Amino acid sequence: MIRKEINRISEVGKALISVEGNPGVALNHVVELLEAETNQSLSFAKAINITEEITRFQVFNGTQGLSTQTKLRMHEVPLSAGFSYNMLGRSFDGIGDVADGGPEIIFDKQISTRLDTLNPTVRLVPKQPLWTGIPMIDVFNTLVKSQKIPIFAGPTEPYNRLLSQIAQGAQADVIIFAGIGLKFDEYHYFKEQLSQSGNIDKTIMFTHLAGDSQIKGLMLPDVALSVSREFADQGKDVLVLLTDMTNWSNILRNVANYQDQIPSLQGYPGSLYSELAKRYEVAADIEGAGSITIIGATTLESLEDPVPDNTGYITEGQFFLENGKLKLARSLSRLKQQVNGDTRADHRPIMTVMASLLADAEKAYEAAEVGAANDTFSQKLLRYREDFIRNMEEPFGESIELEAALDKCWDILKRHFEPTETGLSKKLIEQYWN
Amino acid sequence: MNNTKTRTGKLTSIQDSLVKARFYGNVIMGETANVIVDGKSLQAEVLQIVADPKYEDAGIVEMQVFEDLTGAQIGDQVEFTGKSLSVLLGPGLLTSIWDGLQNPLYKLGEQNAYLVPGMKAPALDEEKLWDFTPSVAIGDKVTGGDTIGTVPEGRLQHSILVPFNFGKCKIESIIGKSSVNITEKVAVVLDSQNVRHELKLAFRWAVKSPIPFKERAIPSKTISTGVRVIDLLAPVSYGGTVGNPGPFGAGKTVLQHSLCKYALADVIIMAACGERAGEAVEVFKDFAELEDPSTGDSLMNRMCIFGNTSSMPVAAREASVFIALTVGEYYRYQGYNVVLLADSTSRWAQALRERSGRQGDIPGPEAFPMDIPDQIKGMYQRAGADQGTGGSLTFIGTVSPAGGNFQEPVTQATMDATGGFWGLSQDRADAKKYPAIDPLAYTSSVYDSFISWNDRNKMLQTLQEANGIDQTISTIGLKKVPVEKYILYQKGLTIDFCVMQQNAFHKMDACTRPERLIIINEAVQKLIDSSIDFAREDKEDEEVKELVKAKFDELRQWWKDWNVTAQSLDEMAVLHEKIEQFILQEEYAL
Repeated sequence: MIRKEINRISEVGKALISVEGNPGVALNHVVELLEAETNQSLSFAKAINITEEITRFQVFNGTQGLSTQTKLRMHEVPLSAGFSYNMLGRSFDGIGDVADGGPEIIFDKQISTRLDTLNPTVRLVPKQPLWTGIPMIDVFNTLVKSQKIPIFAGPTEPYNRLLSQIAQGAQADVIIFAGIGLKFDEYHYFKEQLSQSGNIDKTIMFTHLAGDSQIKGLMLPDVALSVSREFADQGKDVLVLLTDMTNWSNILRNVANYQDQIPSLQGYPGSLYSELAKRYEVAADIEGAGSITIIGATTLESLEDPVPDNTGYITEGQFFLENGKLKLARSLSRLKQQVNGDTRADHRPIMTVMASLLADAEKAYEAAEVGAANDTFSQKLLRYREDFIRNMEEPFGESIELEAALDKCWDILKRHFEPTETGLSKKLIEQYWN
Repeated sequence: MNNTKTRTGKLTSIQDSLVKARFYGNVIMGETANVIVDGKSLQAEVLQIVADPKYEDAGIVEMQVFEDLTGAQIGDQVEFTGKSLSVLLGPGLLTSIWDGLQNPLYKLGEQNAYLVPGMKAPALDEEKLWDFTPSVAIGDKVTGGDTIGTVPEGRLQHSILVPFNFGKCKIESIIGKSSVNITEKVAVVLDSQNVRHELKLAFRWAVKSPIPFKERAIPSKTISTGVRVIDLLAPVSYGGTVGNPGPFGAGKTVLQHSLCKYALADVIIMAACGERAGEAVEVFKDFAELEDPSTGDSLMNRMCIFGNTSSMPVAAREASVFIALTVGEYYRYQGYNVVLLADSTSRWAQALRERSGRQGDIPGPEAFPMDIPDQIKGMYQRAGADQGTGGSLTFIGTVSPAGGNFQEPVTQATMDATGGFWGLSQDRADAKKYPAIDPLAYTSSVYDSFISWNDRNKMLQTLQEANGIDQTISTIGLKKVPVEKYILYQKGLTIDFCVMQQNAFHKMDACTRPERLIIINEAVQKLIDSSIDFAREDKEDEEVKELVKAKFDELRQWWKDWNVTAQSLDEMAVLHEKIEQFILQEEYAL
């Protein structure tokens, strides 16, 4: 088939190019950019805005070195991703090209990256716990298969270490690593960890390093999630590690800015919520097929920043990491109620009681700072708080089974309180206090 | 309008979901159109009509397309329909689950597991037979909104209505008692212009034209929602409006689900607008197995769901809320009490923001359209009670304020537009005090409670005072607080812990009906009114406070147990005795 070519680019910007007139390109279809003299392929680009006067493209490899003479060859299809079981154990870039220096892959099929919405009627209500061996998660915010949940953390927190720790114990058939704007050492760390835990052969890495072309970073989640979805459609349980979605959102902001879109908050486009939701909503337990669980990382300065704020409304909870501890107060697994009712009778009550006491303890802690926590009970609360942070909020360390973790909770309560002070029912006290 | 040939246009610009097309002839503001992309027909709505700068005899129409436009090109065909965005009203609405444009999701699921652009299915089952009983005879005069017959729909009698925009008509023919589907003709009417109209069980109605009231009334009958803090302190009446804002994680979803399960109403409509798909799925898959509190049927039999979840096309989000409202008005007109839960109105507002941004409108605060407060008010105004039909439409909208900040434009406009306001607080949620409705801040209601104004105010005042003392304790320490104040503080804590807080996941605690509320209120009032003179003897104040705390701790534990165990009237009555005892025992100790 002879592909139509366009010979003149009229505008070249930071990540976008424009062509005058209407060359007949369709929305979201891909064109290939060719060096005018040699016909050497430079990059691909996607049509994002078409009018009678002008057609705009996002260039996957960046616009450095493009000239007005650069040729566009029309492919007349939207961006697709290759799919093959041979991808396991390998690394790819944001548009699904091999990026580990290894041999090219012969794909079994090309799949759409449009991320169509899954019909809600084929979703199963998630009911299977994913145990992590981290008490703070298993007891207080149980993770559930097909959940979408990010780690919220400051940029210097060990969020990647936590992500990789959760991945190591994960009961998944396939792990898809999707890294956007990573530093090389982060990429290297994940690769090491996945190799050491023996998971590398069931992992596919899609990586975009800081400084790589922005558009490739922008496309990465769509490519990685499309591949994940294909595995899930074929019956596999897939775990997707998505880090760091703040980097991704910042690329989205940059590109919206290049397109002169009206910003809503802090320069982000008004569509930030929908754009994030479109990706996170890929997580699903599919009737008659497999599942996709997404654990992400969202770095933040403040919880009120648009990225974590919008993410919180989209995801099914969040794990909040602060000073290396997994904090109870702002962490939440929205799906925990689906699974923590049929574990052990004391699971739910003890979770509620410890949280409520910790909230009181935080108040006492603030009061103590002005010397106002001078009564006996406040003193108890302060000691409890310290114990809780040291023994429960520590995410790193030996893996603990749920039963043992619950027993540990009772031990902490017993160390500091009288039974009635906990607000636990008589029945539970009789059963577990001694 | 009698156009014999379809009016068409050609695309001249495509940007995300916003397109422009050139047309010759006539285009109607607000009408729908189909954009033909790769042979698929995608639904669109006209937003604006402007002059064509290029051709004098042509015009440019700006439209939003409700589906993904990948593959669209300049020159693609547009076909105008002449009809504005509408919803199909008729028997079979209940138990249905649609996308935001009334495509039934289970039917679409038979075609593909994914929602692919261009997929369509009839909004209501066209084959199902309904037992029609006529209520008018040939020669009878009818007008828009009149009933010509009924069909049973589950437990409800579904009235078959003459479309609301019809003037005076005469029944020319009508079928007898028989089984018919919604595509069959049941009657023919002749209007005053001598034009004949066929009537079926179902008809289409434009979603932006509110269905009229027969006789609008002030909402006056309190709804039992089963949630104690609401029914006691911030109640809502049939036909009322409530805004329910809260930062993420504060418990909006759990509260919505509680209302779905326990609010007493004939019909519950859920507009899952831009929120998580999983939450809507939980409702139609898990709630189907739960019992309707008033009938004992499956809970789904009183529900219908519009799901424009967060990954579905944004342009259809605005439509989803209007479609849900129209269905609610339709059942209100039939005399039923309808509760519409819209989750979340912020996503709806954001959809308007995205659109106005693309259209290049001058943005208002936080880039929302300048007229967003008016649009929000207009939406809530469609709720209301109708004493002409005896029906009502209650609108409870959640709000998802950016950064949890209630000062943002959508929350503020909602506060202004609604009669009730349930503000969820992050602090309460962090302390796992659920439901996290903060009775002291941002929570209000103009509707009557199940308890008297006086009792309601006394309860609020005690909570307020206890909160004040709590702040004093954390700033100057417990030592400086007099014993009397400390007792008041403990009373407040008890009301909060045992009454305001409620376990939505406990079978019994999750729902409290008015008769039980009255018993609880009596206990609370007794506790507030009585002075409890704890045995002081020659104890230091600090020792007395410790004793007070221990006694109240014991009471709270007991009351919490009562919440989850006391079921029979006798068991419930024990609460009163316990409080009496709590007060008296201490007096004996003197």
